[in-house]
Amino acid sequence: MKKKLACLLLAACMCLSLAACGGSGSAASATPAASDAAETPAAGGEITIGTISPNTGSLAAYGSAVTTAVDLAVEEINAAGGINGSQVKIVNADDQFDPTECLNAFNSLVSQGIGLIIGSVTSGCTSAITDAANEEQVCLLTPSATADSITTVDDYVFRACYADSFQGAIAAAYAKQSGYTEVGVVYCAADTYSKGLYDSFNTACEKYGVTVKAVESTASLDVQDYTNQFASMVKAGVEFVYAPYYYDVIGPYIVTQARAAGYKGIIMGADGYDSTPDYVVDGADLSVFNDVYWTNHYDPADTSDKVQSFVKAYEAKFGATPNAISALAYDAVYMYKQAIEKAASTDATAVRDALADTSAVYTGVTGTFSLDASGTPTKGASIISFTSEGTTVTTKLVDVVKELPQA
Amino acid sequence: MKKRTGKGYIINTAVIAVIIVAFAFIKSAFGGNEQFRLIIVPSLWQCCYLIILAASLNLILGFLGQLSLGHCGFMAIGAYAAALISLAFQRAGVFTEKAGPAFVLVLIGCILAAGILAALVGLLVGIPALRLKGDYLAIITLGFGMIIVNIINNIPFAGQEGLSLGSASASLYKNGLGFGTASKVTYLWVALIVTLICLTMMFMFIRSKYGRAIKAIRDDEIAASASGINTSYYKIFTFTFSAFFAGIAGALYACANATLSTSSFAFTNGGILNSTFIVVMVVLGGMGSLTGSVVSAIVMFFVNYQIKNGLWVKSLPGFLGGIFAYPMLVYAIILIAVIMFRPRGIFGTYEFSLLNFVRDIKEHRAKKALQKAGNKEAKSND
Repeated sequence: MKKKLACLLLAACMCLSLAACGGSGSAASATPAASDAAETPAAGGEITIGTISPNTGSLAAYGSAVTTAVDLAVEEINAAGGINGSQVKIVNADDQFDPTECLNAFNSLVSQGIGLIIGSVTSGCTSAITDAANEEQVCLLTPSATADSITTVDDYVFRACYADSFQGAIAAAYAKQSGYTEVGVVYCAADTYSKGLYDSFNTACEKYGVTVKAVESTASLDVQDYTNQFASMVKAGVEFVYAPYYYDVIGPYIVTQARAAGYKGIIMGADGYDSTPDYVVDGADLSVFNDVYWTNHYDPADTSDKVQSFVKAYEAKFGATPNAISALAYDAVYMYKQAIEKAASTDATAVRDALADTSAVYTGVTGTFSLDASGTPTKGASIISFTSEGTTVTTKLVDVVKELPQA
Repeated sequence: MKKRTGKGYIINTAVIAVIIVAFAFIKSAFGGNEQFRLIIVPSLWQCCYLIILAASLNLILGFLGQLSLGHCGFMAIGAYAAALISLAFQRAGVFTEKAGPAFVLVLIGCILAAGILAALVGLLVGIPALRLKGDYLAIITLGFGMIIVNIINNIPFAGQEGLSLGSASASLYKNGLGFGTASKVTYLWVALIVTLICLTMMFMFIRSKYGRAIKAIRDDEIAASASGINTSYYKIFTFTFSAFFAGIAGALYACANATLSTSSFAFTNGGILNSTFIVVMVVLGGMGSLTGSVVSAIVMFFVNYQIKNGLWVKSLPGFLGGIFAYPMLVYAIILIAVIMFRPRGIFGTYEFSLLNFVRDIKEHRAKKALQKAGNKEAKSND
């Protein structure tokens, strides 16, 4: 019995120490700001905004990107006197990048009486809660779910990012512009985001007269071996491959394995490539990351005041360069602020009506934009490339596309 | 003995009837309550399919003694089958809104069809797979789970087309059997009654000639076959029977979630719903105890839910709160604790029964007392 107790104690210690190490990262950084906000005496009541993000699981970096950026925005807003004199409070819920958990998180926020929600980060999770948001008449503003089917006309769902039909088309236009007439695609058939981007890329390729010569798919987003897929790309002789995945496989697996399989051409991706430089394998040959391009919502190196003040404030607070998800989450908070001020109310339906107004112009870190009838911003995208410099991978802005080129 | 079994059935039916009536009262009293609508009812739905899933896997794992790691594959088949059939009926105009007898009939038909299709696939997989034992069977079933996910992805009308889309018009929520918050309350009885029927069927199976046969196979396959039990027949039958219930659990999952994506059924899925986690549930509850599986499914769901959404977690002091930011660590601690102090799981092979509960406790106490007396005697003899 004593031995067992000792074992258990040791195991518990191990877990606790792990948690303590990790806690200094996302979890700890998320809590202080929230409690600060709660402690400051509210002038005209309190506005509670809920956030849903994948704080744990394979996309945990997106979770902390959202929680940190939202904290930063809320801190700024509260320091400047809040929204209509009320202080803002954030309640965060974790969806683990799983649709079922996302619905649970959503229900839990709504049952706390929260009518304004920012979330979730990924298209797969967000699509699980859009119908619930409409049924419960709760405002849902997703920072980064790009799938086309997320927003429709006359509903409670809005977003701060462009949709996949635009993002995939930009990649196709870039392929044509760079002179590639035959391209290949490697995508995940099981994921709303990856499949949506493939569809829009495919449609745009037809429009631009680019042939999609080879298509390969994987069963899930976290497959760890892509050698066969890229070997068949090499076999098909394509020099441009569109691979819409998330950073957690791009850094460690896809790029390295594609080069190992003998593929030397361009790998093009979408906003899921953001954060990749933090996830490359130490000691690996990083020159493989040359010729990797991706579309993004903003470029942290942009010299405009808005971007630079955000990047500086974020770096000062959290000691890291904010990624696009952070920028979008930050913008989402300010979109709510503008909508609440316009509606002069925090009632979900009133805020929804304010957001549905297509004439409202939002000036955010990711550009100046207004929402279209379905609730999707019309704004440009940045095309960014990776370059390897010794032991790190850096990003470089290639082009900013405001509008899709004509066929 | 016969009389006693009959008495047991009567007691259980009476208790269930009382619970259902009580629940109907709660529903009418709190139906409009936010907490009830948004927290309790969705939780009950999730508990229902987890219970069916864990209990059905226990038939293979605990009673037949074979390790199957592809149980979520059967669930995926059930979920997609139910969803697609409901969409087909909607297109055919059998029902237009989620109400009325036509819809209820379609719903029950979908749930049954889901089970039957999963059972058919279970039969097809079981015939070659059950020639193998132990690790090899585990590998085959593991592979099967992955294959199913791949096949569903690549079926043009199932993979991504319409079943995982959000607000878009083709979604399961709008046209199929996907339930929103309000209809989850309305149709809660479906989930509860389906779960009850499934559990009853499994209990009857375990107590029948079949149950005794598969327990004999678990304990000693050679001895069982020497006594004239057709082992392959019983093994394949149990596998199929278990797949049937996994399919039904899948149908309930499709109702509760209103969107389907195969990543939820993938082996590496990070949430509570993956084949390994179901195995963990069975082991935790006790291999060979259906009531154990029921309890552990509820406990695991509750732990998972509370860690992520419980309000008390947020009020924990910083250090403890830090652990709860990582739900997997908490599961790990619970698992280690349970397996260390009760290697046979919470219930072991004990079946909780209302009829025998008092008697069992008395017997247990008497046994303990006897043991203590024996120990004392041994000590005084020294």
